[in-house]
Amino acid sequence: MTTTKAWLRERSELGVSAVLVVLGVVVLVDALRIHTDFAQRGPVGPKAVPILVGSLLLLVAVLLARDVLRGGRGEAEGGEDVDLTAPADFRTVLLLCGAFLANAALIGVVGFPISGAVLFWGAAYALGSRHFVRDPLIAAGLSVATFLVFNNLLGVPLPGGPLMGVL
Amino acid sequence: MFQQLMDGFATALTPTHLAMAALGVLLGTAIGVLPGIGPAMAVALLLPVTYGLEPTGAFIMFAGIYYGGMFGGSTTSILLNTPGESAAVVAAIDGNPMARKGRGSQALAAAAIGHFIGGIIGTTMLVLLAPTVAKYAVDIGAPDFFAIMVLAFIAVTSVLGASRIRGVASLLIGLTIGLVGLDEMTGQQRLTFGSLHLADGIDVVIVAVALFAVGESLWVAAHLRRTTSEAIPVGRPWLGRADLKRAWKPWLRGPFIGFPFGAIPAGGAEIPTFLSYVAEKRLSKKHRDEFGKGAIEGVAGPEATASASAAGTLVSMLTLGLPTTAVAAVMLAAFQQYGIQPGPLLFQRESSLVWGLIASLFIGLTLLLVLNLPLAPLWAKLLRIPRPYLYAGILFFASVGAYAVNADVFDLLVMFVIGVLGFVMRRYGLPVLPAIIGVILGPAAEQQMRRALQLSDGDLVGLVNTPFAVVVYVIIAVLLFFPLIRKLVRPDKPASPDREKIDV
Amino acid sequence: MAVGAAVAAVVVLPPLLTPGGESTAGQLRALRVLVPNAPGGGYDITARTAAKAMEDADLLRNAEVFNLPGAGGTVGLGRTVAEKGNGKLVMSMGLGVVGSVYTNKSPSSLLDTTPIAKLIEEPDIVVVGKDSPYRDLDELVSAWKADPGGVPVGGGSSPGGPDHLAPMLMAKAVGLEPRTVNYIPFDGGGELLASVLGGKVAFGVSGIGEYRDQIQAGTLRVLAVTSADRIPGVEAPTLTEAGVDVKFSNWRGIVAPPDIPDVDRERLVDLFTTLHSTKQWKEALERNGWTDAFAPGDQFGSFLEDENTRVATVLKDLGLA
Repeated sequence: MTTTKAWLRERSELGVSAVLVVLGVVVLVDALRIHTDFAQRGPVGPKAVPILVGSLLLLVAVLLARDVLRGGRGEAEGGEDVDLTAPADFRTVLLLCGAFLANAALIGVVGFPISGAVLFWGAAYALGSRHFVRDPLIAAGLSVATFLVFNNLLGVPLPGGPLMGVL
Repeated sequence: MFQQLMDGFATALTPTHLAMAALGVLLGTAIGVLPGIGPAMAVALLLPVTYGLEPTGAFIMFAGIYYGGMFGGSTTSILLNTPGESAAVVAAIDGNPMARKGRGSQALAAAAIGHFIGGIIGTTMLVLLAPTVAKYAVDIGAPDFFAIMVLAFIAVTSVLGASRIRGVASLLIGLTIGLVGLDEMTGQQRLTFGSLHLADGIDVVIVAVALFAVGESLWVAAHLRRTTSEAIPVGRPWLGRADLKRAWKPWLRGPFIGFPFGAIPAGGAEIPTFLSYVAEKRLSKKHRDEFGKGAIEGVAGPEATASASAAGTLVSMLTLGLPTTAVAAVMLAAFQQYGIQPGPLLFQRESSLVWGLIASLFIGLTLLLVLNLPLAPLWAKLLRIPRPYLYAGILFFASVGAYAVNADVFDLLVMFVIGVLGFVMRRYGLPVLPAIIGVILGPAAEQQMRRALQLSDGDLVGLVNTPFAVVVYVIIAVLLFFPLIRKLVRPDKPASPDREKIDV
Repeated sequence: MAVGAAVAAVVVLPPLLTPGGESTAGQLRALRVLVPNAPGGGYDITARTAAKAMEDADLLRNAEVFNLPGAGGTVGLGRTVAEKGNGKLVMSMGLGVVGSVYTNKSPSSLLDTTPIAKLIEEPDIVVVGKDSPYRDLDELVSAWKADPGGVPVGGGSSPGGPDHLAPMLMAKAVGLEPRTVNYIPFDGGGELLASVLGGKVAFGVSGIGEYRDQIQAGTLRVLAVTSADRIPGVEAPTLTEAGVDVKFSNWRGIVAPPDIPDVDRERLVDLFTTLHSTKQWKEALERNGWTDAFAPGDQFGSFLEDENTRVATVLKDLGLA
C-alpha cells in the first residue's frame, strides 16, 4: 500500500499526462460534434485543426508518460523568490486563491473598491504580511484610487457598489 | 520631400502642437502602464473629447498616445510580469528576470532606447518608403502569411526548453486555448460549451497575464523564500558599457523585422516581436544560455521591433486607408470623424496634416525617451516594496486588467483557471512561453491556411502559388536540413549534445 | 501610475456621479447606453456620437456609454434582455447583431427587446480592383454563375454579418445556390481592402466607409451599390438598376430592454426623435458620412421583424441557423 503511494508520489507527473489526455479527449469530442452540414469550401473545415491538436495531445500524453516511467522528471522552475528546498506550502496557495476568487465573487455585490481591497489585503496576508493597520489602509487606498482612475477619469466603468453610492 | 518634412516640423513645433504631443505621450505612457487599457481603447475613449480640436492637433496627440502606450506597456511587463497589451508579452520573458536580479532599470532603459530607435528607424522608413511599401503590402496574401506562420512554428522549437516533450505539451495546451471560440471562417462554435462568453475566444493578454503573473504568484506562494526577505537590489541605474555592447545590434535589427510586419494587413506586433526574440537568441553565441533568465538582448530586440511595427502600421493606414491593428482602426475612425479619408490621395490633399503628424512622431519619440530614461530607475525602485505587497499588487492589477476589458466576472474565472494551469506547469517543468506562442500563432495560422485554400477553391496549390511563399519555404527547408548537410560534409564530428536550456 | 493618479485628482473634483436619473415632467436626466462591441467599433461610435449630441443639445444631463463586447453583440443583447423593465437603459445595435443571434445560437433575440429607433444606414458596395477583368456587374455575374467556386468573394464580416448577407442575397437573386458561394471573411473592411487591391479575391462586398478615397483615386472600381438609391459621388448603378433584384443596407439603431413601462418607452422614442431634429446630430451625420434613416418606435419594430426574417431565411439556406 505505502509502496504504491510512494511510487505514485514519485511519479506525480503522470497527472500531467492525465490532464493532457482529458484535454485531448475534450478537444476531439468537441470537434466531432461540429456538424458540417453547411457551405464549406476547401479541404480543411472547422474540424480539421481541432482533430489534429486533439490527436497530438493524446500522443504527447503517452510520450510524456513513457518519459516519466523511464525516470524523466520535469524540472520545477526556480526563481529569485522561490525556495525549492522547502516543501510546497499549500495553505498559502489556497489562501491566495481564496483572495483572488473573493474578488471575483464580491465585485458585483459590494463593488470594486471593497472587493479589490479584499483581494490586496487577502493576498498580502496570505503571503505573510501582518501589519493590521498598514495593510488594510494600503489596500483601501490602492483600490479606491484605481476605481477613480478607471471609472471617473478614463470612463471605463467598474462597479462602484453601495460604498460609492454613499460617497 | 525634405522640404515637406521641414514644413511638417514647423507645424509640429508650434507651442500648441508641442503641448498636444507632450500631453499625448504622457497620457499614452500612463495608459500603457495601467492594466487592461491598451492604446486602442484609450484613443477610442478620447475620440468624443477631441471633436472640438482641430484635426492636426488631435492626431498629433493620438500618435503620442500610440507610441507612448508602447513605451508604457513594456514597463509592467518588465516590472510585474504583467503585460498590459499583446505587443509587450515578449518583453516579460527576459525583462522580468532582469528586474528580479536587480537589473530592472537596465531592462527598462534597454526597452525605452529600443522603442526610441525602433520608432525613429520605423518613422524614417515611413518617410522614405511609404509609397513603395504600400504597393507591396497589398500583395502579401494568405499563402504568404501561412508560410511565415510555418516559419514561426519552426522557430518555436528553439524556445521549447530543456525537455522537448514538455515544451511540445505546453505548445499544445496553448493551441488548445487558441481553438476556443467561434471558427472565424464558418461561424461554428468550438470548445465554447455553449457559452457566449467564450464565443470570441480567450484574449491572448488574459492568457499571458494568467500564465505569467497569476501562475507565478501561486508558485511563489507555494515555495516562498522566507529566510531572506531582503528587497530586490536596485543596482546601478544606467546601462553599462557591457550592456550597450550587447544591446546595440538587437536595437538596430529589431526595426527591420517589425516595420514590414506592421505594414502588411493583419501583421500586428505579436508575431514580429516573437520572431525578433528567437532571432536574437539564435544569433547570440555567448549569451544564449542567459535567454529566459534575463538576457538584455531579449528585451532590446523585441521592443525595437514593437515600435517599428507601430510605424509600419501608420504606413498602410496613411497611404492605403488600411488599418492593420486595432489602434489603426480606431485612428482611421478618427480621421473619418474629421471628414478626412486616409488613402492614396491623403498626402496630396492633407499635406500639412500628414507631414505635421510625421514630424510630431519624431518629436514624440524624443519626448518619450527623455521622459522614460530618467523614470527607469524610479520605476525599478518599485520592486523594493516587500514581497507580500509586490505579489498582492501583481494579482490586484492582473485582476483589474482582466475585468476592465469586458466588465465580466467570467474573465476573472478564466484567468484563475489558466493561472492554476500556470502553477501546475511550473511545478512539472512545462515551460510557459510555448503555450503563449501557441495561443498567438495557432488561430492566425489556421485562418490564413484555410483562407488560402478557399481562395484557390480548395486546390492545395493555393498554399504555394506565390513567389514570396516559395522563398519562405525554401528558407525553411534550408534551416531544417542545414544541420544534416553540415553533418554530411563533416561526418567525423559528433553532433553537439547541448540542447537549448531555457526555462520561462 | 503616479501621473494617472495626479490627473485623476484634478478630474475627480467635479461631481461625476449624477444622482439617480429620476425624471421630472417627462424629460430624462440620465441614460445609460450599452454598446455591445469594443470601443472604436461601429455601434460604439454611433452611441458615443449620439450621447455627445444629446448632451450638447441639452436633451439630457448625462448619458453614460459603456461597452459590453462579446460574441458579435449577443453578450450585450443578453444583458439588455435581462434588464427587463429598465426604462433608463438602451442598447446601440445594428444588422450585425441580427445575424449574430443565429450564428452564436444566442438564447435572447432582438425580437424580445423594445425597439426605440433606427438611426442610420450605410449601403454596401460591390467593388473590384482597377486591374480586375470585370468592368461591370454583368460581366462579374456571368463569370460568377459559370464558376462560383473560382470567383471568391470577400467581405468584412464573419458569417451572418452584413457583408456576408449581401453577396448571399445577390447570389439568390441571380439564381445561384447560396451554398455554392465562395465567401471569405476578413477582419473588417480594412483587411478586406488589401485583398481587393491585391486582387486576391475576385470581388469584395463591404461598407463604403474605408473605400471612398481609393475609389476617388481610381484604384478601386465600384460595380454596384446595394442600396435602393445611388450614392452621391459614386459613379455606380444600384444592384436593381444593374439587373440584380436586391435592396440591402447595413443599418444601426437603438433598442431598449423588454417590458418597459409605456411612459418610459414613449419618453425614449421622443428623446431620439428630438435628437434626430437637432443640428448637432445633423452635423454628426455629415461628419461621419452616415445616411440618415430615421424610423421611430413601431416603424422600426416592424422593420426589425422583416430584417430578422430575411436574415434567418438566408442563414437557414446556408445551414448556419
